[in-house]
Amino acid sequence: MKLIRTFLFFYLSLSMLAACTQVRPWERGLLAKEEMAWRTDALESALNDHIFFSKEASSGGSSAAGGGCGCN
Amino acid sequence: MAKPSRSLLALSTTALALPGIAIADAPPVNSSLSYKVSNYQEDDLDRAESPFGDLGRYDIDVHQFQFISPIGRAFSLQIDANYEDLSGASPWFTTLGPNGSPIVNLSGASGIQDRRAELNVGTRYYLENGSIGGNVGYSQENDYRATYGGISGERHFNDDLTTVSIGLSYSSDDIFPTDAEIFNRVISEDKSSASAVLNISQIINQVSTFQTAFSITEQSGFLTDPYKLVDTRPDKKTQIAWSNSYRRYMRAADAAWHINYRFYHDDFGVTSHTSDMSWHQNLGSSVQIIPMLRYYTQSAANFFTNVDDFTSPATNFQSSDYRLSAFGAISGALTLKTTFGNWDATLTGERYLANEKYSAFNVSQPSTALVRYVRVSLGLDYSF
Repeated sequence: MKLIRTFLFFYLSLSMLAACTQVRPWERGLLAKEEMAWRTDALESALNDHIFFSKEASSGGSSAAGGGCGCN
Repeated sequence: MAKPSRSLLALSTTALALPGIAIADAPPVNSSLSYKVSNYQEDDLDRAESPFGDLGRYDIDVHQFQFISPIGRAFSLQIDANYEDLSGASPWFTTLGPNGSPIVNLSGASGIQDRRAELNVGTRYYLENGSIGGNVGYSQENDYRATYGGISGERHFNDDLTTVSIGLSYSSDDIFPTDAEIFNRVISEDKSSASAVLNISQIINQVSTFQTAFSITEQSGFLTDPYKLVDTRPDKKTQIAWSNSYRRYMRAADAAWHINYRFYHDDFGVTSHTSDMSWHQNLGSSVQIIPMLRYYTQSAANFFTNVDDFTSPATNFQSSDYRLSAFGAISGALTLKTTFGNWDATLTGERYLANEKYSAFNVSQPSTALVRYVRVSLGLDYSF
C-alpha cells in the first residue's frame, strides 16, 4: 500500500510538471541569464556549504556530499 | 519533412545550454579560471561565558581556485583547489558556573593552528539529452584526511522543460588528532560517508523555474569530536535533506529573485529548517548588486547536554558541542559584482549571528559558545 502511495505521489508530481506552460527554446532567453542560475557563483556556494557544514548540524541538499573535514 | 540543418541544430543546442536549467547539453563554450580569497573571523566569547583563559576563537583564511575547460566537442574538465589556514581556539569542555549557568572552557591558551589543502578533479561527457560525470578528490589537514569521489548523470525530458539528475558519492576519512597522547585522545580512527541525491528541475514559464531535490547520507565510524574532553556519539548516522529552489526574473526591475528552502533530519535527533532569499539586481550591463538574507534553525540532538557529565560512563552518549544544540541563526550578506571585458570581480561582506533566542524549536538546554562571525570575500573570474 505504501509503495502504491509513493508511486501515485511521483506520478501526480510528474503530471503536474507536464502541465506547466509550454516554453519554446527561443522563449528561454530570460531563463538563460546568468543571474537565473541555480548557483550563480560556484566558489561562493562551495564556501558557504563548507562554512555552514562546520557551524551547523545540517548538511546535504541539492548535490551529493564531497569529502569531510576535521572542522571544529 | 526536411531534416534541420547542422547549423540550426548547433544553434538550438547552444540556446538550450541554459545556466538555470539545461546547462549540461554541451560543454562550456569558453574556459574559465576563478580565484576567491576569504577571511572569516569568529567573535570572541564573553568573559561571563568563559571565565578562564583565552576568549579568542577561529580566524580563518580560505583560498579557492577553479579551472573549467571544454575538451573536444563532448567533454569538459573541472579542477578545484582549496587552501585553508586557521588559528584560534575551540570549545573544549563545559561546566556549571558559579551562578548556575553553563560556562565553556576553550582549548589551550595557544589555541589551534591547522591548514587544509584540497584538490578535486572532475570530468563530464555530454550526450544529446543530458550528461554523465565523475570526480575524485583528496583533502589533507594536520589531523584529518579525506579521499572521496562521486558520479552523476542527468537527462532532459518534456521538450527540455524538465531535467532529472542523480548523484552518488563516497568519502573515506581518517582522523589522527594532534597531541593525542598528551591529552589522552584517540590515536587514529576512521569514518566513511555515502550519499545519494535525486534532483528535478522544471521550467515553469518564460521567467520562472523550480527545483526540488532529495538527498540521503549514511555516515559510519568515528563520529565523535576527538578534541572535546567529554564527547561520545553513536557510530552511525543517517541524514536526509529535502531542498527546494525557485528563481524568478523580474522584467520591470531587471533583477532575479532567488528563494531556497531546505528541510533536514537525522537520527541523532536533529531537525532543521533553512531558508534564504537573494535579489540579483542589475545596474546597467556591467554591475550587479546582490543582497541576501538567510534564516536557519535546528533542534537539539537527543544526547546534547550543555554541561558535561564527567561521572557518566564513557559508553553513554553525550556531547556539549554547540552544533548539536537547539539554536537559530540569522545571516545577511551583500555582494557587489562588476564585469570588465573577460573579467568578473565580486566583493562580498557577510555577518552571521547564532543565538538560542532565534530558535524556532524548544530550547531546554541553551548552549554556550554559539558562533558569530564576519566574512569578507574577494573573487576574480577570467574567461578565455
